[in-house]
Amino acid sequence: MSFTRWLRRLAPLMVCLVLLVTACSSAPSKYDQAQKDTTGFGSPAAVDKKAEKGGTFNAFFPGEQGGYKVIPYQEKKGFAEYKLEQDGKTLAMLTISDTTSVPASASKYSAATETVGGFPAVDQGTTATGVLVNDRYQVKVLSRDPSFTKEDRVAWLQKFDLKGLAQLKGAINSVTKPSVALPEAPTAATPAAPARPKDGFKLPRVKLPRLAPSLQPAS
Amino acid sequence: MSKKIYEIVDKLPTGGLTVRALKTLDTFVPGQWNNLVGFDNTIKTVTGETDEAMVQAIGERAIALFNDKKQGYQSALWLYHTVDSASGLLGAAALANRIGQDTFLGFLKNLSPKPEKAQTIDLAVKLVTEVVAFCKISGIPGDSLSDFLAALGDYSSESLVRMAALVSFDGIIPLGADFSTKALNAIKGMGASDLDDNQTFKGVKAEIPGGNDKAKLSFMTESFESTKGWMDRFVSDHNITQSKLVDNLGGFIEGSRSKLDYLGAFLDMSVKYYEHTGTQTLARRLIERAVAEI
Repeated sequence: MSFTRWLRRLAPLMVCLVLLVTACSSAPSKYDQAQKDTTGFGSPAAVDKKAEKGGTFNAFFPGEQGGYKVIPYQEKKGFAEYKLEQDGKTLAMLTISDTTSVPASASKYSAATETVGGFPAVDQGTTATGVLVNDRYQVKVLSRDPSFTKEDRVAWLQKFDLKGLAQLKGAINSVTKPSVALPEAPTAATPAAPARPKDGFKLPRVKLPRLAPSLQPAS
Repeated sequence: MSKKIYEIVDKLPTGGLTVRALKTLDTFVPGQWNNLVGFDNTIKTVTGETDEAMVQAIGERAIALFNDKKQGYQSALWLYHTVDSASGLLGAAALANRIGQDTFLGFLKNLSPKPEKAQTIDLAVKLVTEVVAFCKISGIPGDSLSDFLAALGDYSSESLVRMAALVSFDGIIPLGADFSTKALNAIKGMGASDLDDNQTFKGVKAEIPGGNDKAKLSFMTESFESTKGWMDRFVSDHNITQSKLVDNLGGFIEGSRSKLDYLGAFLDMSVKYYEHTGTQTLARRLIERAVAEI
């Protein structure tokens, strides 16, 4: 008799315990591995110590022109981003990043079949086109409006001061075969020989006077 | 254990008081905010990418960036979350006790309106939190007010609606139409000791620039003074008035029209708009960076 009374008292407690335990454990996610790899003792930094200051990149972005506004958006170590706007509408994002922190980002250019301004170029996904300068600096234009096509992306890539950017330091890690394959859309099947600048090729160091954009805040 | 950014974004609510209150602001900033929730959904919406492998790669880079403490994203998220929970601390327990027992009006009777001084400090602390958190996310030096002001001019979507909520729910409703002048005069007359018992200030003070409370108060005052013009213009450009705000909120908060001071206190503890939209701003910027870096 007393045992069943105990059981009756214990039952709600047990139910609560079960609910608590199940509530705490969350459903597995496809990002759990990425989370595990980037947390805890000894996990690698997301941005390499040797990565270029984001502010250094500002000088190589295109300036405002012909009704297009180029607005500072983000500036972090190894990365700078501007927003391209026309009539208040965001058309695209313009970015420069240092691939020292993400070597696989540079590796994908080794399969490039196109060039922009003499640098290897690839399409990535459906909205991005990028070039790799000095085997290190990735310059990307990312469409944010359907009206902004691949041709527009290539045109805006050419407005960057790619040659100026090429005068910064070259790759720290030499580009090898991709260790992690980043998703990438095959580029147009034109078998044009990639006119990549040779390793170690350096333009003479001249200071190019740049009017705009000066060092500005990201917004 | 480290917080998982993908879970936080996945768990952002699609309904509830915070979302409903923010949606009432659509009258003033139409079409700006569409309550973007879910990690993958945010990636797809922000970048326009639908390819699953791309989405996964963007997500993984965003997670790595968030988990690297040096990048400042974690402390920005902490700021957005803490400033909301600290300001609403007092009434939360009272609310929990009353839920389901009686009407909202019955609940209001048991709630004390926040004194004007506390409300003023809350407003100033929330504003300075925006300055610091937004600068951390975007990479602007946290004490650079001129850079922040330039960025403010370009605010859109969830960032803009957060500022609309700040001037509306923490400014106009509790302090009236001349809230900015009133609040600025009040904080100019305050000393460091006035901040002592303010929960909101205590919650986030570690991240406010300044070596001591006096310096922190001075940075808060300076932030408020330089942002006041923007806030006043925002209110007049968008025709935000106390009566319109209360009318909109009255649609779902019963009996609020006649109890303005209580409405302010109620919003304070039940509407976590900094936490909600701050998480959305952070996720957007992280993803924008991740897609560019991969």
